[in-house]
Amino acid sequence: MAEIVLDRVTKKYGDGFEAVKEADFTIEDGEFFILVGPSGCGKSTLLNMIVGLEDITSGELRVGGKVVNDVDPKDRNMAMVFQSYAIYPHMTVRQNMAFPLRIAKMDDDEVDRRVEEAARLLELTEHLDRKPGNLSGGQRQRVAMGRAIVREPAAFLMDEPLSNLDAKLRVQMRTTVARLQQRLGTTTVYVTHDQTEAMTLGDRVAVMRRGIVQQVGSPRELYNDPANLFVAGFIGSPAMNLLPAELDGNTVKLPMVDVPLPDEVHRRLAGAEGRRLIAGIRPEAFEDASLVTDGGAQGATFTATIDVIEWLGAELYIHFSVEGSAHEDLADLAAELDTADAAAGMGDADHADVVGRIDVASQAAVGQPLELWIDPRRIQLFDAETGENLTRQDRSGEGRASLREQASDEPAAEPAAGTDADPASADSPA
Amino acid sequence: MRPTTTKDRVFWVAGAAIVIVYALVPVAWIISLSLKPPDKLTDGKFFPRNPTFDNYTKIFDDPQFPAALRNSIGIALIATLLAVTLAMFAAYAIVRLDFPGKKIVLTGALAIAMFPPVSIIGPLFNMWRSLHLFDTWFGLIIPYMTFTLPLAIWTLSAFFREIPWDLDKAARVDGATPFQAFRRIIAPLAAPGVFTSAILVFIFAWNDFLFATALTSTNRARTVPASIAFFTGSSQFDFPAGSIAAASVVVTIPIIIMVLIFQRRIVAGLTSGAVKG
Repeated sequence: MAEIVLDRVTKKYGDGFEAVKEADFTIEDGEFFILVGPSGCGKSTLLNMIVGLEDITSGELRVGGKVVNDVDPKDRNMAMVFQSYAIYPHMTVRQNMAFPLRIAKMDDDEVDRRVEEAARLLELTEHLDRKPGNLSGGQRQRVAMGRAIVREPAAFLMDEPLSNLDAKLRVQMRTTVARLQQRLGTTTVYVTHDQTEAMTLGDRVAVMRRGIVQQVGSPRELYNDPANLFVAGFIGSPAMNLLPAELDGNTVKLPMVDVPLPDEVHRRLAGAEGRRLIAGIRPEAFEDASLVTDGGAQGATFTATIDVIEWLGAELYIHFSVEGSAHEDLADLAAELDTADAAAGMGDADHADVVGRIDVASQAAVGQPLELWIDPRRIQLFDAETGENLTRQDRSGEGRASLREQASDEPAAEPAAGTDADPASADSPA
Repeated sequence: MRPTTTKDRVFWVAGAAIVIVYALVPVAWIISLSLKPPDKLTDGKFFPRNPTFDNYTKIFDDPQFPAALRNSIGIALIATLLAVTLAMFAAYAIVRLDFPGKKIVLTGALAIAMFPPVSIIGPLFNMWRSLHLFDTWFGLIIPYMTFTLPLAIWTLSAFFREIPWDLDKAARVDGATPFQAFRRIIAPLAAPGVFTSAILVFIFAWNDFLFATALTSTNRARTVPASIAFFTGSSQFDFPAGSIAAASVVVTIPIIIMVLIFQRRIVAGLTSGAVKG
């Protein structure tokens, strides 16, 4: 049990490459903390620094109040689950799970007791005397988890533990991991590139890009109030629609329609006029205009021709395209977001594909025009140059907070009432 | 694939038979010679008429051969143990660490292995005499190690490279010191490589004739291959073919035992199941 504090932790390699730049946040005791980002963003490096397998170039890492920068991994009392599982192939499952305890010279009765208990927890009891070579992927994964939990460590560190499993098993194991963490109440740092995993598992999530922590917050904060374009595009599936926009008075001009902004949003946009903007609109901010009951007075309606309909029973997704796209500003981002649907939504040079999630009662049909309503409270505006979210609710006074400050301010900030009251935001983002 | 016909079968059986005969007839001939009494040695018959173990009792009665056998076993085992242990550490360091001159170490080792041993015999003879290593066990163990280490390092680094690095890391996080991680996780997994190189080193040391004749002078350190060359018959003009044959048979047995023991340990795919897939 321990609180992990990262104080401007930086990793710089011999060739000058900075894998992690001034990571600065606190992982609370007992928290399930997720590091998420596209591959190569430095999240695994950061994890390796926490466990001690990589040296920290500068900055300080404190675990339970003590600086551990120079403590050997074996003395940090942390347990790690590797992406490759890293089970010892020449040992049986029992020997694998007992290994950390044997190294610690624990007596035999205690070792047996703990291994049996962990095996029961992970449903491995009947496999205890088998060799890992004969186990399935999911079983090996559980052995790796078992080896971590027998130690009763200060923290669990997991490096993409589920990414080698097939889709169905992954969902199953996700629940297992979540339940296990809840039951043990041990501080857990979990690395993943899958935003769905991050959103469903994490108490709090840190989004990383190119070695820099973009935002730290609860999944809900990240979804409703992203710090910048990157977080906005990365979090959420289907991805946020990103369209070119212009601000004129209190009206935002989108390619398909001009939307008058509510005062509370407009107030935050001081000085944004005349700048190149990108509007971020979550799919659920659209609705079939004929089905809008509340808030219909605000907002704007427009007609779009539906290209594709995805009906999933409880959900209905419509795809339509609009003239004009923010393609040039987003090309960089699209390349980095390796999630297929995020990239697809960015369209090409002269039109953008937009996804909307509307009421299943809608009569939308492929190839037919449909009148759509857009919720102005849910439009976020980003600076096209810096990517910064100009409509962010908890921006510090100046609206120019550096990433570092944003990161450390984040835990205290709660989403403002306006967002939370919105019925759509209560839906699961995944 | 087309079904195997009788012609195929005949071809393969005949081929196998030729190889077996080619490889084993000389061995059988030596065994046959060793069982013949001295006056029948040149009778030209493949199967000895009256097999006798006289040659064997004779070589073991002479103090020279048992001493040589003892030297051979001792020297070969110690050389193997030292060479393999050193090679394990060296190979592990080469595979896991990134240090300047890593390539030079590896190519240098290979260059030593290619070096013709006969070219260093002269200097070595003089050095060993002044260092009092001449005619001692260590006087032979050192050159054997020098010439087998490169091969052992290359073999072992190939095996270590196959072991996922995550296993070292996992062991370290599990609380093991680097040495514990090596001894309890990495070394057992590299066992096939260890045994492979052990066999190679042992055979080299066991069969060496060059160093053994040049760097020894008495029964103190002379090994079997050198000792056989010093066998004498009952008179100066008597060629001790029977004794040589018997000694050759005896000296082959430990090698066969070694290979049979270690062969069972050289099982591929020991690392399967460590990581995904």
